[in-house]
Amino acid sequence: MDRFLRWTGIAIVIFIAAPLVIVVPMSFSTSPTLQFPPPGFWLGYYAQYFTDESWLRPTFNSLLIALMTTILTMALVVPATFALVRHKFWGKGAANVMMMMPMAVPHIVMAVGYYSYFGSLRLVHSHLGVILAHTCLAVPITFLVLSANLKGFDRTLERAARSLGATPRQVFIHITLPILRPGLLISALFAFIQSFDETVVAIFISGRDAETLPRKMFDSIRQEADPVIAVISTLLFVAVFLGLIAPHVLRLFRKLFSRAAPKPVRATRNTQATTPQEVK
Amino acid sequence: MNPYLQLSGVNKTFGDFTALDRIDLDIEQGEFVTFLGPSGSGKTTTLMIIAGFEDATRGAITIGGHSLAGLAPQERNIGIVFQNYALFPHKTAAENVYFPLQMRGVKKAAGLAKAEEMLDLVGLKGFAHRYPKELSGGQQQRVALARALVFEPDLLLLDEPLGALDKNLREQMQIEIKRIQKRLGVTTIFVTHDQTEAMSMSDRIVVFSDGNIEQAGAPLDIYHRPSTRFVADFIGESNLLDAVVTDAEARVAECPALGSVVFGAEGQPPVVDGQEVALLIRPEHLKLSRDPKEGRMNAKMVIDTIVNYGDNALVIGHRGDTQIRVRVPGADVVILKEGEECHFSWTEDAAFVLDR
Repeated sequence: MDRFLRWTGIAIVIFIAAPLVIVVPMSFSTSPTLQFPPPGFWLGYYAQYFTDESWLRPTFNSLLIALMTTILTMALVVPATFALVRHKFWGKGAANVMMMMPMAVPHIVMAVGYYSYFGSLRLVHSHLGVILAHTCLAVPITFLVLSANLKGFDRTLERAARSLGATPRQVFIHITLPILRPGLLISALFAFIQSFDETVVAIFISGRDAETLPRKMFDSIRQEADPVIAVISTLLFVAVFLGLIAPHVLRLFRKLFSRAAPKPVRATRNTQATTPQEVK
Repeated sequence: MNPYLQLSGVNKTFGDFTALDRIDLDIEQGEFVTFLGPSGSGKTTTLMIIAGFEDATRGAITIGGHSLAGLAPQERNIGIVFQNYALFPHKTAAENVYFPLQMRGVKKAAGLAKAEEMLDLVGLKGFAHRYPKELSGGQQQRVALARALVFEPDLLLLDEPLGALDKNLREQMQIEIKRIQKRLGVTTIFVTHDQTEAMSMSDRIVVFSDGNIEQAGAPLDIYHRPSTRFVADFIGESNLLDAVVTDAEARVAECPALGSVVFGAEGQPPVVDGQEVALLIRPEHLKLSRDPKEGRMNAKMVIDTIVNYGDNALVIGHRGDTQIRVRVPGADVVILKEGEECHFSWTEDAAFVLDR
């Protein structure tokens, strides 16, 4: 039974990882189309990606739009989350539902809506239009992550800070914000990824001027299946992978570094609250 | 001279619910006062009103003659230790203690030096650079205490600070807090629902019940001379028996459970003939024996349960419909058996009456 479960597990992992891994060799391929296995290897498509204006512009657009979306989303969601988590007010339930709405409505429906609505506002084919639409789509996930963080925040800490002489403003700057920082960073990252990854709405409203990378990739695969797509996929894959292992590497370094420091002195024998591995 | 801290007519209502009915209390400078009462009795609400986190519906509070009205918590100069310590997790022990100084504009080098000095005082030399999660419960408690004291507050409030600690550590911290409080001479209010804690630490105990002060006094005063049934029941263990005063002059009451009883304890409230009273005899003032003891008042009971604590035992028995509790020294308990009939005896000065 154990063997069966183990092999099933391995099979699932391979099945999930295969599409990720398959793009890597394809990006070094000599073939003029996406083809696996590659007939030969070279770096030509990397060179093409980094020199071709028609690829660099969408990349820049995507980064700009994702960055602006992140800033706008955080500016809206941070105050909204504090209001919704910490205060009671008329219409709170409705506000909560509205915040989550973009997650429930299919993107294609939103896209059609934006297409006709932004058309009359002359926002179609503009960066601003895409930023606004992406912000709307990024709100739910950002709100979810942040509100979970804020609900777990012990408000006694703020009371303690007040009693120690801090004004509400100082409490926010010195206590609330630093403690919530990881949650804020993660929710901002989610907003960024939500925008950077978004394709459906971008296809409808980004046009030529604000063309995003996913849209360009989609167009390209439809027309010519250019292996540059594999290059971009590989680069994104590497970026995410580095992002994932970075904290672990940092922790490892810190551990190696702090080994030189003196070992912590054990507490009094009454401290039974400590876990066994702390005793080492 | 006016008292240092004065609460007059403090009242707090939440909608229809009266959390505090009317609190009048004077506290002297340097005093260690404990607010004792069950949960929901108003002790924590009173504390939060003094700290400025709740507004009183009516009433006034003054410290050193100055009113606290309209002052935000950060303007009151009151140190608080919270039940869960409320240490800032992103700051080291020293930085936690430095925080109130930082808020008062003390420069970092001087402030951290003072913080370490304070950590020394609470017995945490060498722990300055630890983060709260690297400290045990008792150590976190000490950091919280240092942080609440480092800015020389006008008042120290402790909100059930020992609740989360195990028994040994709790006793150790009781002694520690008392030592530090004496050394600094800071006026302190300690909130607890644990009566032994209140007895062992306080200069004065204030017993809360249902949003009112039931009684305020020195620990032994309250223990020996409770003014209400509630206080007698809440502080220590008690045998409370209904009785009617038959001769106020000779201090005799007729008790259905025990018969005619002389109540000779000191400091009893005045009574009149025919008054319905509750007769209080503490379990440790009763003695058990096979035969009646000479020179003492005697009665018989049947032993139902013996709860052994090692150094002493609680014997619960009944006489008619009345439950009788007796504390006996641990060594004496071996001769007793459950289901056995025996005598219990007391002296006249162990019997105390209070209003029923």
